[in-house]
Amino acid sequence: MTEALLPAFQWMEVNLPGGTWLRESTFGFSFLLTAHVVAMCLFFGLILMMDLRLVGIANLRTRVSEISPRLLPWQMIGFVLMTVTGVALFWAQPLRYFGKTFFWWKMGLMILAGVNALIIHLITHKSEAAWDSKAAKFAGAASIVLWVAILALGRLVAYDWMTTEYFVE
Amino acid sequence: MESLAVYGPSIYLGPAVNIVHLTAMVTFLGALLIVDLRLLGAGLTQQPTAAVARDAQPWLLAGLVVLVLTGIPAVMATATLQYANSVFWVKMYLLSVAVIYTFTVRRKVAFAEEGRFGSSTMKAVGLLSIVMWLSVAALARLIMMIPANTFEFLVG
Repeated sequence: MTEALLPAFQWMEVNLPGGTWLRESTFGFSFLLTAHVVAMCLFFGLILMMDLRLVGIANLRTRVSEISPRLLPWQMIGFVLMTVTGVALFWAQPLRYFGKTFFWWKMGLMILAGVNALIIHLITHKSEAAWDSKAAKFAGAASIVLWVAILALGRLVAYDWMTTEYFVE
Repeated sequence: MESLAVYGPSIYLGPAVNIVHLTAMVTFLGALLIVDLRLLGAGLTQQPTAAVARDAQPWLLAGLVVLVLTGIPAVMATATLQYANSVFWVKMYLLSVAVIYTFTVRRKVAFAEEGRFGSSTMKAVGLLSIVMWLSVAALARLIMMIPANTFEFLVG
C-alpha cells in the first residue's frame, strides 16, 4: 500500500538538508534516541497519570476537571520534544523507516491516539457528570492501550523483524 | 564470565521484557514527575503536595518493583558486556543514590504537612529528583550506544 511512496522516500534520503550529516554523525543517533526516550517519560508518564485518573484508579484526590488542564502544558512540552527528536531520527534515515512495518503501524496508532485525545478533551469539557461516565473511562483505557502499543512498536523498530531494506536507485 | 542464557532459546522474550521495563519506567516516572512538579509549585497545585504524593505512591512503588524485576534478566542476558561497561556502572551508582534519596529526603519533604518546609526547599528537592531520575533513564538508553569506556575516568 505504501509502495507508491517509495520514490518520495528515496528522494528524501538523498535531499533532506542535513540528513546525510545527521546519519553519518558519530553520536547523533544515540543522543536523539536518548532525548526521545527522556521526552517520552515526561509526555507518556503524565498522559498515563491523567488516563489512570479518567479510568478511576489513580490520583483520585484530584478532580478530572483539574488534572487534565493542569498537566496539559507539561504533556505538551514532552510532546514537542518527542516530535522534534522523532522527526530528526526519521530525517536522518527516511528509507530505513520506510521499510519498517512496525514504523507504519506506530504512525497509524498515533493518529488513533490523537483522535482519542480529542474525544477525551471533548468529554472533559462537558458537564461534571460526564467525567465519571463510561465513555470517559473507556477513552482513558483506550489511551493507555494505544500509547503502550506505540511505545512497544517504537522499541520493535530497532529489531530487524518485518523489515525490508530499500536503496536509493 | 559467560552471559547467562536467561531467556532460553526464545528470541521474543528479550524484547518483551524490554517493553515491560519501558512501560514500568513510564509509570514510575509519571508517578514521580506529578509529585516533583507539585514540589516545584506546578501541575496539581490545587492539592497539597502530600495529597498528590499519597495518590502517586502506589504507582511509584509498583513501577519500581516491575522495573527491578524486568531489569535483572535484562542485565543477566548480557552480563559480560554490562560488567565491562562504565556507562552501566554510572547508571547503577546514580540509581542507588536516587532510590535512597527518593525514599528518605524526598519522601519526608513530599509527605510533610503544608508549611513544614519552605518553598525553596521543596523546589530544590523536586528539581534534584527530576534531574537524577531523568539522568538514570538517559544513561540506561546510552549503555549499549556510546563507547563502553566513556565514563571510565569516573568508575574505572
